[in-house]
Order: sequence, then structure tokens, then C-alpha cells
Amino acid sequence: MSASIPKLDNTMASTLAIRDVVKTYTMGAETIHALRGVTLDIDRNEYVAIMGPSGSGKSTLMNVIGCLDVPTSGTYSLEGEMVADKTESELADIRNRLIGFVFQTFNLIPRANILHNVELPLIYGGVSRAERRRLAEQALVRVGLQDRMTHKPNELSGGQRQRVAIARALVFNPSILLADEPTGNLDSKTGDEIMRMFDELHSSGQTIIVVTHEDYIAQHALRTIFLKDGMIETDRRQAKIQGLGAAG
Amino acid sequence: MRVLLDVNESFRIALSAIRANKARGVLTTLGIIIGIVAVITTMTAFNGMKNAFREGFSSIGSDVLYVSRMPWVIMNDFFLYRNRPPLELAEAERLELSLEGRAIVNPTMNTRRSIQFNAARMDGIPIIGTTEKQQAISSTVPQIGRFLMANDVRLRKRVAVIGVEIRDLLFSGANPINKKIRIGSYWYRVIGVMEKQGGTTFGGPNFDRQIYIPISSFVKSFGGARGTDVSIAVKAPSQEAVEDLEYELIGEMRKIRQLRPSEADNFTINKLDTLMGAFNQTMGIMILLGLIVTGIALFVGGIGVMNIMFVSVTERTREIGIRKAIGAKNFSILLQFLFESAIICLLGGMIGIVLATILTSVINANVMPASVSVPILAIAILLSLLVGVLAGFVPAYKGARLNPIEALRYE
Repeated sequence: MSASIPKLDNTMASTLAIRDVVKTYTMGAETIHALRGVTLDIDRNEYVAIMGPSGSGKSTLMNVIGCLDVPTSGTYSLEGEMVADKTESELADIRNRLIGFVFQTFNLIPRANILHNVELPLIYGGVSRAERRRLAEQALVRVGLQDRMTHKPNELSGGQRQRVAIARALVFNPSILLADEPTGNLDSKTGDEIMRMFDELHSSGQTIIVVTHEDYIAQHALRTIFLKDGMIETDRRQAKIQGLGAAG
Repeated sequence: MRVLLDVNESFRIALSAIRANKARGVLTTLGIIIGIVAVITTMTAFNGMKNAFREGFSSIGSDVLYVSRMPWVIMNDFFLYRNRPPLELAEAERLELSLEGRAIVNPTMNTRRSIQFNAARMDGIPIIGTTEKQQAISSTVPQIGRFLMANDVRLRKRVAVIGVEIRDLLFSGANPINKKIRIGSYWYRVIGVMEKQGGTTFGGPNFDRQIYIPISSFVKSFGGARGTDVSIAVKAPSQEAVEDLEYELIGEMRKIRQLRPSEADNFTINKLDTLMGAFNQTMGIMILLGLIVTGIALFVGGIGVMNIMFVSVTERTREIGIRKAIGAKNFSILLQFLFESAIICLLGGMIGIVLATILTSVINANVMPASVSVPILAIAILLSLLVGVLAGFVPAYKGARLNPIEALRYE
């Protein structure tokens, strides 16, 4: 049962606490030090951009935060759960309940219609059919796609697909919305729409982490963590830039 | 609850995956189709033969024991039986006396003779000397005229009851009652024609092509000469009594023949089971061959399905990554692909069933009575399901074990 995973609990200071996380890979004879000791706290309702050049370790950090990967050493706790100790199956449960992924390439299931795509996390979470339908519709209303529910992903524009992906990420009310270059496959106008949607979600209390290498995407966030060579180079908080935030 | 949802989702995914690759799915199932057609036809043919056999020997009756010199089925060791003394009519009478009121005893003798009516002639027709008690032992009755009666036997009348085929061939279908036919060199009057018994597909005697005459007349006409052996039919009062009766018969016969305890029986108790045993042994070999063909077809079919499932898993590596990222466990992925291969195989099974049903009706119309039965269909379905699960397991396991990060990166 998934009851062992705590839901949002306001008494906890940090949603996410990373301590001295090291991640090394061996590729053939070569050892790659993707993360060389990262320590990081992210609180509830933070809006964080993770930046860095390619090879800086930002993808690895994202995988660790998203519980797709476990650190080689160091600790990572998400909502008080120590991720490093978990089995594959428990990690799947954590991803299911606590993480909402948004990918650069949308990553929808092509043969399933929009509603079914959004229902998927609920199916894997064991939610009953009626409840599933209700939550999925609610999430689709949130992204403004309630009248496209029976369409297949390939019948939608890129921006619409990304909104479906956002609905899917939000449907289980996750602790973290984790986006990886969410506008990378979109034209700038559509990208702006998506980022405005992120801003709105943040205003409504959602914790958001965006991995990007685009400055203008990072400017939407209130905190930018810059990685270089597997370590945090800078971690600064910034004021919201006028004119980007309060749209819609 | 959760597993049920998984099953539901797996089913849905599997169906849409198969729909997306219809031609591939159908081609993949070819081996399964052939295997299922083979298994159904083998079993149906076996059942058909078994029924034909039962029908052919139905007049023997399963509650009747036959005391004879030789076993009906001699697999080997013919020399063990060759020197046995023939059964005599007198022994039959003594047996009848000792079993009086407990079982019906009917002695028969038989030979082969040419028969003649006007210019029509048939050679090598089985002539059976019997009594009126034949009617109590066999279920068949005359379709016209009457059967032998006690008086015919007592008075050694030269009367004959003929099989329906003899009527057709010797009399060209004309009414034979009271006509005189020549059996060997004796004239006999036809008093009845037996109803059709049929069912001679598998080497049983043709009961429609024989003639019954009183056993007393038989002795007079064709002699109690050596080699004309008596066979004694003994009908048990009920099916349950057959086993006891068999022991009793052995005891009585040993008494009649005054065998010492050290001596082996020099007679045999034959029964329908003996024939069934021999039949089953022969059929066993045929079934084995059928099953080998089936096994090979299903094996090859299973390998084909496994191959296609590897392709399917590889094609959907990215989808597996997505599903895992949003919370699918390895088990869910495993189930998804197992369902897919099981459904592909079930599909093949269904097509196989349809083809086999058509084939069976062709066999039924042209070769022998055959029909597809529910248990055979159930076996066919279970078998195709089993192949699907077995063939799908390794590819499904491979898919389930994929690392989500690598799977998501897969192009």
C-alpha cells in the first residue's frame, strides 16, 4: 500500500534535502564523476531553476531528484523519505505520488487518448475508475484542455501536448513538479505560454524545479542553482522580473 | 485492487498494441494456428475413431463376457494358445447349468460358407450357429420377420436370419422372407432380416453381412468337426456384476475342465474391454504422433511470438521509460507484455479453432463421424494461453527490467 508515503505536511521545513550527493558512473574503463558532492535544500513552494552547461551534472541531479536514480553516496530525503534505501518498487511509488515529470519531448503515450494519458499515474497508483476520471478531468481543466480529452496526442499541437504532460504531472498532486527543458521543443510564443502556466502553478502553491540552459526560462524562477563540473557553483535567489509573472 | 487495475490497463495496452500492428500479429500467430488446428484435429479424430469403434462393437455389449479358446487380441505368443483344447457344446451346457438363474449363457459356433439364391452368390459369409438367447445378449432385433426361437433350436430347423447387407446383395432388396437360400450345400429358409448395425470403419466384423442359424442345425449341417470352435457368451445381470462374474466363470470353467491348481487356464474370458485395450494401444501411438506434430508447431509458433515480443519491447522502450517515470512498477510492465503475447496467442488459438471446426466438418462429411467437443476447445484455449505466457515471459521480463533513464533516452 502507498499509505506509508506521507503526503504534504506543512510542519516540515524542507520538501527536499540533498546532502553531499556523489554520483559516479563507469563507462567501460572510464569513471565519470557526474556529481561531486552536492548539498541542497528546497522548501515548499519554491520555484527553482537548475542551470549549467552540458556535462555539468544537471541531468544527473534531475534524475536523482526525480528518484529515477539513486546517489552513489550522500543522502537524499524527499518529504522525509530516505530515497537511497528504497527498492525499485518503492522508488516507483515515490515517483508516482511525489514527483510530476514534464519532459522536453512531452513523452505522452501515442496510442492512448489524452484522458487516458492523464489517468496513467492514477492507474499505477491504484485509484478507482470513477475517482481517476474525476481527477484527470480536473487536471485537464486546469491546463485548459477539457474539450480535447478523446483526442490522441498526435492530433494536438506541441504546446497542447506539453499541457497534457503538465496535467499528467499534476494529476496526483505531487510534491514537486520536475520539468526538464519544458520549452525546448516549442516555439518561443508557445514556450512563453507554458512558462506562464508554470508561474500560475507556482502562485497556487506548487513547488517547481525546472532544469534548463536558457536564461529566459530561468528568469521565471525565484532561485537559480548553477552547476559546474558536478558541483554547485552559485545558488542565488532573485526577484521576479516584472512582466513575466502575473499573466492570464 | 491494484493488481486488478494493472490487469485492466495491461489488457487495454495489449489490445491497442495488437490493433496497431494487425498484420504482424496475425502472421506471428501462424505457428500457433497450425499447432491448435493440429491439436484439435488429432483429438477430434481420436474421439471420432473411438466412437466409430464403440459403435462397431456395440452389439458385443459391455456386460457380456465371452468364454473362448483364444483371446480376441493376440499380440504375440500365439503358440501358447495353439494347443488349447477347443470349447465344446457340452461344456457350454454344463456352464449354463451351473450358472442357471444367475446369468444368461448362449453358445455360438461359426464358420464361413458360400451362400446362393438363384443366380446370386456370395462367398465367405460368416455363418453363426446360435440360440434364441442371442437376442438377450445383443441389443439388435430383426427389422422384418422374426429371430430364432427355442423351437427352431430344439427341432434343428433349417431357418436363417440374415444381415441387412445380405438381403441387399443377394435379394437385390426384394423381400427375402420364406425364400430358400443355399448355405454351403444345405437349403435354409429365411425367417428374418436383422436391422442395420453399421460401424465397421475400424476392422470390426461386419455384423450386417452375416447369417444366424440355430446352433443345433449348425452342428448337423457343418458339423462339430475339429476347428469349429464354440464361443460362449455370458451376460451378467448388471454392469456391476461383470467383475464377479468373470471370476466365477474362470472357476466354473476350471471345474468343468478339471484343471489342477498348478495348471494354467486353457481358455480365455474375452470382453469388450479387451478390444478397447488393444484399440487404445493403437490409438495411443497415433495420438502420440499427433501430439508431437502439435508440440513442434506450438514450439515454433511460440518462438515466433517470443521474437515478435522482443521487437515489441524494443520498439516501445521509450514508452516503458515513460510509464516507469510516472510510477509503473516492473511488475506492471511485465504484466503489460505478458498480456500482449497471451492475447496474440489466444488470437491464434481462436483462428485455429475456427479452421479446425471447418476441417472437422469436412472430415465429418467425408471420412468419419467427428465433432469438436467443449473439453477439446477448452484445452486448445488453455494451450494457446500457456504458449503465450511462456513465449512472452523472457521479452516481458527484459522490458520490465529496463532502466528508466536509459529507456527514456532511447530514440
